[in-house]
Amino acid sequence: MVEQNPNADSGNTGGNASPAAETSRSQPRATAGRRDRRFARRAKVCPFCEDKARIISYKQVDLLERFLTDRGSIRSRRKIGTCAKHQRRLATAIKRARHLALLPYTAEHIRTT
Amino acid sequence: MNQYELALVFSSELDEEGLVESVNKVTQWINDHSGTVQNVDNWGRRKLAYPIRKLREGYYVFIQAEMPPTAVKVMEENFNITEDVLRYLVLRTDE
Repeated sequence: MVEQNPNADSGNTGGNASPAAETSRSQPRATAGRRDRRFARRAKVCPFCEDKARIISYKQVDLLERFLTDRGSIRSRRKIGTCAKHQRRLATAIKRARHLALLPYTAEHIRTT
Repeated sequence: MNQYELALVFSSELDEEGLVESVNKVTQWINDHSGTVQNVDNWGRRKLAYPIRKLREGYYVFIQAEMPPTAVKVMEENFNITEDVLRYLVLRTDE
């Protein structure tokens, strides 16, 4: 018997939720991927930590632009898999490059150039 | 004395000579404030990611220099006045 208990929200458990929480919903939620062990995400390694002694600099435009979305926004750490330290460095480098017009701020910049 | 990197974007309305003059003006300012210019990296003309003052291109010049910290403010004021300088960024490069 599946219980529809709206108060049984364990969506913020962070790691793997208990199987009991899984059955308390009849519909998959946005976080279903986290609970569904079949699609367990592989460990994401920071592209800057692992082996790449690649320096993050506002001058490395070709390196930096890979971390922007098609609209010119900085990609989230979740998507890229960077570690906190490198994500911060990456973000400041991108912001500096934007100031110097080496990188765009918005999608419109990409379109009209 | 601290280590700095000056990233400058000059107006594409300058010709090659005008650019050299402007860069020399900047190095002169550095020397005037008892700084030493160590390296000048000129990327030349480059497309801007977005138009600045209606222009779509600019000259990119990077200068590494050692300067006293008091000089930084003066340099920035000068950059603000200079019309040829579209963008500037003064960075400290010692740890």
